Amino acid sequence: MGEATLTSAPAAPPQEDSTTPSGLPWWANPRVGLLVVIVALVILFSALRPSFLNVDLTLVPMQADLSVFAIVGLAQLAVLSLGHMNLAVPRMAAVSAFAAGLTYDRLHAPLVVGLAVALVVGALIGALAGTIITTTGVNSFVVTLALDFGLLGLVSLLYAWATDGVAFAVHPAGMDALRFDTMNNYCAGPVCGPPVPLVVPIALVTVVAVGVLFRRSRVGREMLMTGSSLRAARLSGIPVTRRIIQAHALSGLLCGLAGFLLAINNGAFSATIGDQFLLPSFLAPVLGGTLLAGGAVSVLGTVLGATLTSVIQKGLNLLQFQLDQLQILIGVVLLLALSLDRVRHVLAERRGVRR
Amino acid sequence: MRLRAQGLVKMFPGVRALDGVNLDLRPGTVHALLGENGAGKSTLIKVLTGVHRPDAGVVEVSEDDATWAPVTFGKPQDATAAGIGVVHQERNLVPRFSVAENIALQSMPRRHGVVDKSAMRALASRCLQQLDLHLDLNRPVAELSVAQMQLVEVAKALATDSRVLLLDEPTSTLTSQEADRLYAVVRRLRDDGACVVLVTHKLDEVFAIADTVTVLRDGRSVAEGRALSELSRSDVIDLMVGRSFADLQPDPTPPKDRSGIAALELAHVSTSVGHEDVSLTVHPGEIVGLYGLVGAGRSELARALLGLDDITSGSVLIRGQEARIRSVADALHRYGMGYVSENRKEEGVFLEQPVTRNVAVTVWRRLSAWGMVRDRSESVLLDTYVDRLGIRISGHKQLAGQLSGGNQQKISLAKWLAADCSILVIDEPTVGIDVRTKASFHTLIAELAAKGLAILLITSDLPEMVTLADRILVMHDRQLAGEVDNVAHDYAASSRQVVRYMHAEHVA
Repeated sequence: MGEATLTSAPAAPPQEDSTTPSGLPWWANPRVGLLVVIVALVILFSALRPSFLNVDLTLVPMQADLSVFAIVGLAQLAVLSLGHMNLAVPRMAAVSAFAAGLTYDRLHAPLVVGLAVALVVGALIGALAGTIITTTGVNSFVVTLALDFGLLGLVSLLYAWATDGVAFAVHPAGMDALRFDTMNNYCAGPVCGPPVPLVVPIALVTVVAVGVLFRRSRVGREMLMTGSSLRAARLSGIPVTRRIIQAHALSGLLCGLAGFLLAINNGAFSATIGDQFLLPSFLAPVLGGTLLAGGAVSVLGTVLGATLTSVIQKGLNLLQFQLDQLQILIGVVLLLALSLDRVRHVLAERRGVRR
Repeated sequence: MRLRAQGLVKMFPGVRALDGVNLDLRPGTVHALLGENGAGKSTLIKVLTGVHRPDAGVVEVSEDDATWAPVTFGKPQDATAAGIGVVHQERNLVPRFSVAENIALQSMPRRHGVVDKSAMRALASRCLQQLDLHLDLNRPVAELSVAQMQLVEVAKALATDSRVLLLDEPTSTLTSQEADRLYAVVRRLRDDGACVVLVTHKLDEVFAIADTVTVLRDGRSVAEGRALSELSRSDVIDLMVGRSFADLQPDPTPPKDRSGIAALELAHVSTSVGHEDVSLTVHPGEIVGLYGLVGAGRSELARALLGLDDITSGSVLIRGQEARIRSVADALHRYGMGYVSENRKEEGVFLEQPVTRNVAVTVWRRLSAWGMVRDRSESVLLDTYVDRLGIRISGHKQLAGQLSGGNQQKISLAKWLAADCSILVIDEPTVGIDVRTKASFHTLIAELAAKGLAILLITSDLPEMVTLADRILVMHDRQLAGEVDNVAHDYAASSRQVVRYMHAEHVA
């Protein structure tokens, strides 16, 4: 049958571009740009303030922060894959952290049990958000916004009920080690590890797992296809409802992890966990080239985006900028990144995606 | 003003949309621009109106037929300024704005930086007068009838002093009286010395109103500004199709074996979208056509069959077994049934995803181990279908959206073949596809049936239906109105019967 079709096909036209057919030229790749900016800023900051390269003062805390914010970014990325948003990232983290704190406080459970509880609670809240979105058909923006508002109230009620303030006083065994130790504290004979906080490997494993999920796994790919075109996905036999709920559950689970790690870094399970998560959750993936429209994500980009945010924050901190000035700057960076997102879209269209 | 174009070429990745088009638009004429879907009409309009830049070729204008000035349009406003106006197929009016505001939108008179309302109204009323149209200038456009909106669009084009006016399918939403009204306007504009370019599918209208014609076929102009008086209707059709209707001579195929168990059987099916008591069978190796007017409920029946709408009574049997299909996933994984959607761009392919994923999406379950998909097996799969279906791609990572319509459609079909479906519901497979790819599609569908697939074919293209189907079921108002035995594939005989069933008022 091949002959009939092949011979009747028109002569192949010359291909116009020799670069990768799907992507943009390497210089337009947001990840390369990010890396350049990060390196430049690190050089700039360490030139202005040599203490920027101080291990204990800067590098170790920055790695701990970065681990949390990379995961916060991944929590948003999980639903951006669908073209959805999760505005409840802060409170999903807060409720999960509360659940972990409660487990330690009442059950005196080991550290890892509390972590598991945080993950499960986060995933359940995420799944709830996903279920509401799929059954009502209401936009994810509205659903998670309302959910965040509701959970905000719930969190303060819960802390008021379970503690005599806004934080659990309990310190489970191993919490301080996870907080203060670096690999440098662990030696095999004369050889000690690098000055890397213990939360970093946890974040690394998570990053790799999410990366593999979206790059290689059937479930992750089906989420991306759903984000690319809901109707085509449904008509290609993808169980779209299940995938949407799963993506939101994943988002919730990552919120739970982020909440837990922040509580560890702060040394307390408190009501304010997650308060500062919302903006960074968008900043990291969008800086890294994840499309708000869904259908394409970049896990590596998200890590780089989170790194850039941490570097800027730390650097300006050392240069004694005020918190409000910092916020202005971060806001500007996000706007620039979003404009870039739009520019990339336009470029992609120019390259002939026919609609 | 006379406008001519020579050797226009416009390339998109994977396709030459325009491949040497010449055009000559003389003042005081109505010029028909014809061509089948995909011949390049829309691209040509976009080039002439500054939406696309041509890759080669020149566009020139002249006031006296002696001196020609080349023009280049970087953006649509440049074309407007050069006196080229366009009325697009889809409306481009702002519904809440008044008639006057809409007409003057592109050339809003201003004084001290604010809109000069009286000048705007004067301009609008001058344009309406030119069309002999009496409309309240203050009325919001949303309150007008479709025909009135169409005329306001024409007025809007006149407001920018258009001397070449492109009308893209202007009568597709108009009644015949309204169309007559519009054509009266077109004649007046012609008599005033404008050139009106008419893009339409309706040959009756072309012969009634146009003076000259340019026919596009596969991106080339095959007739350039020929006088319509020297052409017959079948000449024009031959020019458009590029083959004589000899292709539609009877081509009998042996009747299919219908003694075994039907691959797909609908027994007295009623649906939540209004179908009543629909019964049909499709046997392996058979192509059963479902024909009817747009709105007769053919695609809706297919969607109900796939679980997208509810079947309220009756039963669906697949290979003799009662089937309960609640989603496409059910149809695919449990019953081996696939659906090639009529809406290629929104439902058939994922435009922003690479071709590999577009084909493998239905078989990731099979291609994966421990939940992980192997890229290698995806590529192998794609290569298989690239060969089998003659899909033209530039690489495995090429986005489906960069392919031509015909190749997109092949991708959309390939994913069901990859999934080893034994029953295929194919809805309008060749809409917007050029003639040659269409022919290759027909060959392909016939070959799939010959391999034992059961195919339910929905198409509004009667020649296509007669070419392919073994039996044609005619649907009228969500019920089956009759069945035509089509093994002779005799266009004259079958089409007559089909049309008779289509217009039957009552069904016994």
